[in-house]
Amino acid sequence: MEEQKLRIMVIDDENIVGKRLKPALEKTGDIVETFEEGKTALSRFDEEPFDIVVTDIRMEKINGIEILERILSKSSRTKVIIITGYATVEVAREALSKGAFDFIAKPFKPDDLRAIIARASKELRS
Amino acid sequence: MRILEKLKIITYREPGIRDFCIQTIRFRTLLENARALLALVEDGNEKVIGEYILDRHYVTSLIDDVVARLGMMVYDACVLAPEYGKLFYMQHDRHKRRAAELNSQEKTSGKKNTAGDAAVSSDPEYELLSDVLTWLNGEASEPGATVIDFMKQVFVHVIKKLDANNDSKIGLLIKNNVSKTVDCNMFLIDLWEDAIALPARPHSLEDINSIPLKLLLMDVQGGNLSPMAGDKARAVTWIAALSEYRLSLRTMEPGCNFHLETTVSGHERSDFIFIFADPSINTENILPPGFHTEITDHGQLAWKLDATPKAIEDSLISIGRHLS
Repeated sequence: MEEQKLRIMVIDDENIVGKRLKPALEKTGDIVETFEEGKTALSRFDEEPFDIVVTDIRMEKINGIEILERILSKSSRTKVIIITGYATVEVAREALSKGAFDFIAKPFKPDDLRAIIARASKELRS
Repeated sequence: MRILEKLKIITYREPGIRDFCIQTIRFRTLLENARALLALVEDGNEKVIGEYILDRHYVTSLIDDVVARLGMMVYDACVLAPEYGKLFYMQHDRHKRRAAELNSQEKTSGKKNTAGDAAVSSDPEYELLSDVLTWLNGEASEPGATVIDFMKQVFVHVIKKLDANNDSKIGLLIKNNVSKTVDCNMFLIDLWEDAIALPARPHSLEDINSIPLKLLLMDVQGGNLSPMAGDKARAVTWIAALSEYRLSLRTMEPGCNFHLETTVSGHERSDFIFIFADPSINTENILPPGFHTEITDHGQLAWKLDATPKAIEDSLISIGRHLS
């Protein structure tokens, strides 16, 4: 039986991240929408929830931790994955303690993120 | 124990020997900084292929890390060869200016990069990374124009200076004060302890508490080591500064400079072999496979990094065999 497509939201203020992640993640047939700032992304989430949100941690106006909190308050089943170029133990600990599914440090290969998404997907369907 | 109590470990009877060991330790710091610089270049080369998700922060961090590490290298080099200080700092300033230009490069330059596919070339972050790699290791329009070429220049100047020192006063001091291993015509100095603490004449490899030297001598055939082979073969004098995991080995003959630095600790990230050989030495007969080599006007630089501990050990045994 064909698996249901995942709805994945990518939020990063660096244009290159969404531009490169979208085709890479769509290869598995999932639906991917990209955003460069949190406000628009959260509005879109209100219209239609996503299974997985991949968000950068350092962004102007709304940062990744705030996005994590607001997404989980809207949909506790959504898996939030944090991406950051400033990976520190503290950042990881804070994100995970606030309910992030996992985190990944830039630069990374799309396959590394896909592996995390696959784990998230498995949890969502269990 | 207080640090002052530890200082007696490098208190040598002869100031020349102490200076030699301090110089050797500083040279190894220079090598460590060079290794870190090479690792940054390698990381950039791996990322520019286009398989990674990266952002501008990665590229600007790379630039900043290179400048910082280059500064450390230049500092080490100026300590070792102060007469080249002005030249080193002028070149370093030029690289700092280039780094600042790259850091301020506009996000949308519209240039093509060397990464290959169209998607990659349209991303300004990849364009910038490509430009950074050209600055690091592209074609050098003039000596020292790229970071790697500058690094090679620094090494050649420093090694020439060290060899000049060895040929003169330190060589004489060592010949007069340090024990001699008759079998291989090599003078030994404990890098960290008092030179006179070494046995006057090691009777077996077990008397030498230095893994790399043991490996180097393990398969030596005959009584002498020499980097010169065939018609040019002649006896040379060596000086080896030792510690348990480190070896700094140099010839002390004018016109026959062979310099080997190695760490053999069993840890891939710290182990390496570095060699400088002047043009009179044919390293093809000495170097086992797997060395990166760079030719300069003054001689050949060769190194093996990021190899397994076994590969480093085997290489040292092989080098020793080919030097004998």
